[in-house]
Amino acid sequence: MADAAAVLVVETSHLTKIYQNRQIALNDVSLSIEPGAVLGLLGPNGAGKTTFLRLVLGLHRPTAGGAKVFGKPMCPSAADLRRRIGYIPTNPQFPRGMTPISYLDYIARLFGMTANARKPKLAMLIRAVDLLGHAGDPIAYFTPGQTARLAVAASLINEPDLLIWDEPTHGLDIEARRSMLELIKTLAAEKTVILSSHNLTDVDEVCNHAAVLNKGQLIFHGSLQDLKGRIRKNHYELDLEGDQKSITKAVTAVRGLKECLSALLRHRRLELKLTDDTPNTAILAQVFQTLFDNKVTLVSVRSVGMQTEQAYLDLVEKEESRGFTRLYQPAEAA
Amino acid sequence: MDSPTSSGNIRFNRLLPYWAVLQTDLRQTFRSWVYRLWVLMTVIAASGSILYKVGIHREAGIVQAASERSGDLLRGLVAVSLGLIALLSVSGIAAERSTVADAVLSRGISRHQYFLAKWHSRLIMILVTFMVLAGAVLAAHHFLLDPDLTLAGGIAAIALIAAVLVAVTSWGVTIGALSHGTVTGITVFWVLLYGGLFIVSILPDPYPTPDRIMSRLNAVLRGQYNPALLWQGISCGVGMGLLAAVVGVVGFGRKDV
Repeated sequence: MADAAAVLVVETSHLTKIYQNRQIALNDVSLSIEPGAVLGLLGPNGAGKTTFLRLVLGLHRPTAGGAKVFGKPMCPSAADLRRRIGYIPTNPQFPRGMTPISYLDYIARLFGMTANARKPKLAMLIRAVDLLGHAGDPIAYFTPGQTARLAVAASLINEPDLLIWDEPTHGLDIEARRSMLELIKTLAAEKTVILSSHNLTDVDEVCNHAAVLNKGQLIFHGSLQDLKGRIRKNHYELDLEGDQKSITKAVTAVRGLKECLSALLRHRRLELKLTDDTPNTAILAQVFQTLFDNKVTLVSVRSVGMQTEQAYLDLVEKEESRGFTRLYQPAEAA
Repeated sequence: MDSPTSSGNIRFNRLLPYWAVLQTDLRQTFRSWVYRLWVLMTVIAASGSILYKVGIHREAGIVQAASERSGDLLRGLVAVSLGLIALLSVSGIAAERSTVADAVLSRGISRHQYFLAKWHSRLIMILVTFMVLAGAVLAAHHFLLDPDLTLAGGIAAIALIAAVLVAVTSWGVTIGALSHGTVTGITVFWVLLYGGLFIVSILPDPYPTPDRIMSRLNAVLRGQYNPALLWQGISCGVGMGLLAAVVGVVGFGRKDV
């Protein structure tokens, strides 16, 4: 068991990438990904997510530090390691004049798969990603959804142990996105997955680990539960119904509660922040009683803080506010 | 989407990635507008020139030696084609950078296999096309004008031009692999190519400059050539091509894509 755990799927050590002495894309990133993890790679635009993925794939060479994949150093010529990886770039591009069959055959040959291995596999994948009716159509005329499905098939043709998917739900409609998330959940049962995404709902749904990059630096790495544990608690949104006068009166009364830190009314939505000193059930009971006394109906109540999105925003905000103290206090993830 | 099922262990053939890129690139190059423009332009220019010379030869009765006319035409075609050949060779890798190259190099292919496949594909495409066109030009001149061409001379002349094209194509592919984009690569290559040709052309007489080598084509086509010098010229071109390939393999292996 100890030996199995020792072989990390991805291990980066002080990974740094500086482009032509002009742009620091990644700064001293050290993280490890264990077998079976589904890691959500989060960060704003330009945070270094794609650079990180390209370094792990050996498409870029690190300026300093290094990346190990399956326990071996990754470099541009490490074709053997890449045979165990399935990659989807942000906007997959395909050679001109190809059909799904010829493209998947090409990709399979790039992995060195013999005809006996690749032909049945590509046929099975085309069926699995629902492109059977378009198997002979030129890819150039495909919709974003069809393109994404073909990219998924291409990333699975070599039966990889590690999947690196960069924004796989980007540009997909609701149905295609749902389908993609279900697929990731299924694949996560037997593979290690790195999922870079802007969509925190996606990450929340399918990932069990998260890494947050901000301006090239890793500011969080751990389980999704750990990330959520850092969020502001006792932050609620209440949708109210009743006449505006009663609602205003009720909100004024709520503001009078000493356990209530803030009560902000926007139209008929009340944003409530409560103190941590008293059990929230007791304060909420008082709030509901106040609403009842003023003949205000409660339509819905949501806990704002329990979302990954809030945790992520808090984390980035906190990192931004650290200023020069970064020099003396190492990032929490490091 | 259904979840694909696993079909057990896969056997890998290490040479297949090279063949896959080579075959795909041959097909892509054949379909590219640059290649088609080059072939079309060469065919139209050669046909026009041949028809004109045949007219002079047969109608005006001014004897046109096949070796003279073929030599002049081949020289002209090489000079005119250089720009498009540079475009074809540089774009081999540069045009795919950050797009299709991502999808290819993230699979089970090493950098040197990718570079070699691209280099070989562009060499095959350019050399075979030029040889076929040059062969057709020589055959047309031989049968339609005053036939003073020899078979050995024709083969030697085509080999000489092929050696020049090997050097040009190889450096083109290498510069494309080492540059950050197609436009930058082509600009750098054109500057180096035409600048280099100009600098070499002002070298003193004993040096075998491309101009001087090409000006001997007429004599070579008649079979009047020194085999040692011919081999020297061919070796020089092929040697420069191999040097370019070594620089390309090493440089591309260390480059971000």
